[in-house]
Amino acid sequence: MSTNSSTSDTAPYELLGAKNLQVDLGGTTILQDVSLSIGPGERVAIVGPNGAGKTTLMRALSGAVPATSGEIILCSEPIQNLSRETIARSIAVVSSDIALPFATRVDELVALGRIPHGRGPAGPSAHDRERANAAIERVGASHLQRRDVRTLSAGERQLAAVALGLAQETPILALDEPTAHLDLRHRMEIADLLISLAGDETIMKTKRTIVAIFHELDIVRDGFSRVILVSNGTIAADGTPAEVLTAERISSAWGIPLERAARL
Amino acid sequence: MRRTTLLSLAALALVAIGAIGFGVANIAPLDVLAIIGKSLFGLPIGGEISAGSTSIVMEIRLPRILAAIAVGAALATSGAAFQSLLRNPLADPYVLGTSSGAALGAAIAFLLPITGIAWELGGVQLAAFVGALASVALVWRIAGIGSGEERIASVLLVGYAVASLLAAALSLVMLASGANLRAIFGFLLGGLDGVTWPRLAAAAVPIALATLLLARRGRALAAFLLGDEGATHLGIDVRRERRIAVALATLATASAVALAGLVGFVGLVVPHLARLAVGSDPRAVFPLSAIGGALLLLLADTVARTIGVPVGVITALIGAPFLLWLLHRARAGYAL
Repeated sequence: MSTNSSTSDTAPYELLGAKNLQVDLGGTTILQDVSLSIGPGERVAIVGPNGAGKTTLMRALSGAVPATSGEIILCSEPIQNLSRETIARSIAVVSSDIALPFATRVDELVALGRIPHGRGPAGPSAHDRERANAAIERVGASHLQRRDVRTLSAGERQLAAVALGLAQETPILALDEPTAHLDLRHRMEIADLLISLAGDETIMKTKRTIVAIFHELDIVRDGFSRVILVSNGTIAADGTPAEVLTAERISSAWGIPLERAARL
Repeated sequence: MRRTTLLSLAALALVAIGAIGFGVANIAPLDVLAIIGKSLFGLPIGGEISAGSTSIVMEIRLPRILAAIAVGAALATSGAAFQSLLRNPLADPYVLGTSSGAALGAAIAFLLPITGIAWELGGVQLAAFVGALASVALVWRIAGIGSGEERIASVLLVGYAVASLLAAALSLVMLASGANLRAIFGFLLGGLDGVTWPRLAAAAVPIALATLLLARRGRALAAFLLGDEGATHLGIDVRRERRIAVALATLATASAVALAGLVGFVGLVVPHLARLAVGSDPRAVFPLSAIGGALLLLLADTVARTIGVPVGVITALIGAPFLLWLLHRARAGYAL
C-alpha cells in the first residue's frame, strides 16, 4: 500500500480485523468492545440472535458504516485510509435479498460486480464479461445466465448473488444470511459451495476468505472451522464450533431453555 | 458502440433530413443536404436552390428539428437517470416537480410586463428554467437528497407533494391570467413553435453538457441498480453520486422544459424501450435513450406541425398506449 510505515514491515499481514470497535447508529450503541482478526483462507461463520448486531458487524468490517470508536483493519490498512473502490476490491459483500427495479439478466447482474475494477464511462469490457461468466460457471449457474433475475427461485437467486460477489474478485467474500429462505437441499448446496470457494486462490495469490452470517447451526458445525457468536452487540465467543456452540452458550445467547439448546 | 446504438443514430440522421424537407413547402432530401452544406460549410453545391428554400431550412426548420432532437434526448436521458437513481420504473424527468415549477415560472412570466428585447431573448424560457430548478431545490432540501438520511420513497413523496403545491399555485395564476390563459395553456401542452437559433443555443448547450456528464456517471448509476447498500459495496460514494446525478438530470430537464414546455411521456417511455433492446445497465441505456428520445420527439413534432397541434398532445397520444402495451408485455414475460 502507499503508506510507508515501518510497522507494516514488522507486523504480520492482517487481512481483516477489528480492535475495540464500537458502532453507534442513530444514537444507539449497536456494537461495542468488538475485537477480532480474520486471516487468509479462513472460513468464518457469524451466528447470533436477531438484533444482536451481526449485520452491523459485517457492514462495519466492509466500511459501509463508520466506527464510532476503535478501528477496522482491512489488508493491513486502517479502513478509513482506504478509498471506497479499494475497499470494494478487497471485500465483496453479498446481500441475501437482491431486488432489482428492472428486468435484468443474470449475466448483467453479475457483471455489475466488475464495477470496482472498471475505469471510465463504458459498460463492462470483454474481459469483465468473461470474468462475470467465469463466476457464474464457478457457482454452477451457467444454465441461468440469460434468465431475468426477478424470475429466479430463491435458491437460484442466491447463486446469482454469490456469483456477483465472486465477480468482484476480492480476497474476502462476506455474505449476509446466504441460506435465508432456502429449503434444506438448497441450503446444503450453498453451504458446500461456500466451503469450496474458501479453497480457491484469489487474484491476490492468497486463498479466499469466507465470512458468512448463518442462523442454521448444523451448517456451521458441518462446514465452518471457526464460529463467532455475536450476542447483545458484542462477541460472546470466538473459536471452533465445538468450543463456541455449547448448550450453555446457545441457551444464554438465544434465551432458550438449556435442555432444548442441548438438542440443537 | 453497440450496433443498436449505431443503427438508431443512422435512423435519427435520416429522419432528421426527411423532417427538415417535410412541410407545406416540400424540399427534397438532397436539396436539404445541399442547403445545409452550402450555408454552414460553404460547399459550392446546388445551383438552382431558391433563396426561399434556404431561408425555410436555415431559419425555421433546422433550429426546430435540432430543438426536437435536443429536448427529446434530454428528457429521455434524464428519465433514464431518475428511473435508475430512484429505482422506480414509473419515475420520469418531472418526478422531482420540475414540470410544475417550470409551468408556474412560465405562467408568472406571461403575466409580467415583459416586452421587447427581454421577450425576444426568452423571458418565459428563463422563468420556466428558474421555476424548474427552484422546485427541485425545494424537494432536495426537504427530502435531504445526498444527506445519507434520505429514503427513496420519501424523495418520491416529497416530489409529489411539492409538485401538487406548485400545481395549486399554477391554477391560481391561471385563474388570474385573463387574456394570457391561452399562452400559458400552450406552454403546458408543450410545443416547438417559434424556436429561434439563440433560444436553441441557450438550451442545447446546457443539455449537451448535462447529458454527456450524466453518461460519464454511468458506472455509479449502474451500481444504483443494487440499491444504496449494494452500490456502496461496489465502491460507489452513494451520496456524492446521487447529488451529481440529480443535479445533472435536473439541468437537462429544466433546459428542455424551458425550450419546449411540458412534453410528456418521452422521458418515461423511451428508457423502457431502450432497456428492452439493450438490458438494464445505464451505460447501455443512456446513449440509446438519448437517440430514441430525439427520434420520438422529432417524429412527434413533425406530425404536430403538420396537423397543427401541440407536440405534447402527440407524445401523450403515442406514449400512453405504448405504456399500456409495455405493461401488457410485462404480464406476458418482460417485466418492467
